[in-house]
Amino acid sequence: MTTTPLSNRRRRLTIQGNLASPSFLPWVERHSARLGLFCENLQAEETQVSFEVEGQEELIDALEVGCLLGPIDVWVESVEQHPAPSAS
Amino acid sequence: MSDQAMRDAWFPVGLLSGLTRAGTASMLMGEDITVGLDDTGAPSVDCGGRKLPTVERFGHLWTSLGAPEKDLFTIPEADHPERTLVDVGVVRVKCSPLRAVENFLDIAHFPFVHTDILGEEDHPEVNNYKVEVRKDEDEVWATKVEFYQPQAAASAGGGIITEYMYRVPAPTCSVLYKTCPPRPGEWDVICLFVQPLTEELCDVWPWMALFDDTSTITDLIHFQQLIFLQDRSILENQIPKKLPLDPALETPTRADLTSVAYRRWLKRHDYTYGAQLVAE
Repeated sequence: MTTTPLSNRRRRLTIQGNLASPSFLPWVERHSARLGLFCENLQAEETQVSFEVEGQEELIDALEVGCLLGPIDVWVESVEQHPAPSAS
Repeated sequence: MSDQAMRDAWFPVGLLSGLTRAGTASMLMGEDITVGLDDTGAPSVDCGGRKLPTVERFGHLWTSLGAPEKDLFTIPEADHPERTLVDVGVVRVKCSPLRAVENFLDIAHFPFVHTDILGEEDHPEVNNYKVEVRKDEDEVWATKVEFYQPQAAASAGGGIITEYMYRVPAPTCSVLYKTCPPRPGEWDVICLFVQPLTEELCDVWPWMALFDDTSTITDLIHFQQLIFLQDRSILENQIPKKLPLDPALETPTRADLTSVAYRRWLKRHDYTYGAQLVAE
């Protein structure tokens, strides 16, 4: 039996919504770490947060889905995922 | 957050066919209620001397602790005269009412909980499907859900690819539209109406509107009860007991998009009775 090796991706996630809570960025970092992902180049405004992560596609997808729900004190309108500019 | 949004929603509290003048003691969101018939023979719900609003629909009596702004949802497909309408009865479950609905929306558990009936362990894949909140109706819909099922319904002769649509029209209600084996082109309608007794205890009232000329009502009830009793043991052992609205406690994936849409919709409307708001 052969297995397909899991490949890493580097992606930029852009979250939009009502994100003004001070708890949100630490929550993003914690949730990423829980999935074994590390956030880099994080940029934050009240209505948009974006950052880069590298890891297995399925885990980045899980981070995207988790961020869509977010912590209780923010409202996430959308999460978009794109290849990170620094991707090789 | 307050419970007012949930108090203003409609909930099932009993079968119309089971109402009596003596009344039955029950609960709704932690408050004692009495469900029965008044002196004129009309369905009635009393809460500490206060008469609650009522609606009779889908074989059940519905009420609200507050002042609902909207009428109870409708299911136009269920009005077809050739459908068999099935009052399945009630199953008490020690779980959050929101957990009961969320479990109903989770197709990925079929092969493992309803093995060889609604799913097979050799066919656990959930293909991509569409999830949306329909703005006009303000309801969660999941469509184009396809899944292999060895025994999709009491009337199914063998394994088939079943197509599903899920609909959440109220915080503790879900309507499932499902491929109808004996009548291609039509949908069987299977509903889960959940009465929140407390935040961690509920009565589940399944109800069905089916095209099935061969099964007896008893067969149909037994099939649905078998499915739900398999779910109950899972539901009663979930931790945390309440439905987490913060994904830190459970890690949803793409296969869980219906559940995520449901949780987002609950959060958007402050439907949080039975929900755990913050990861502990």
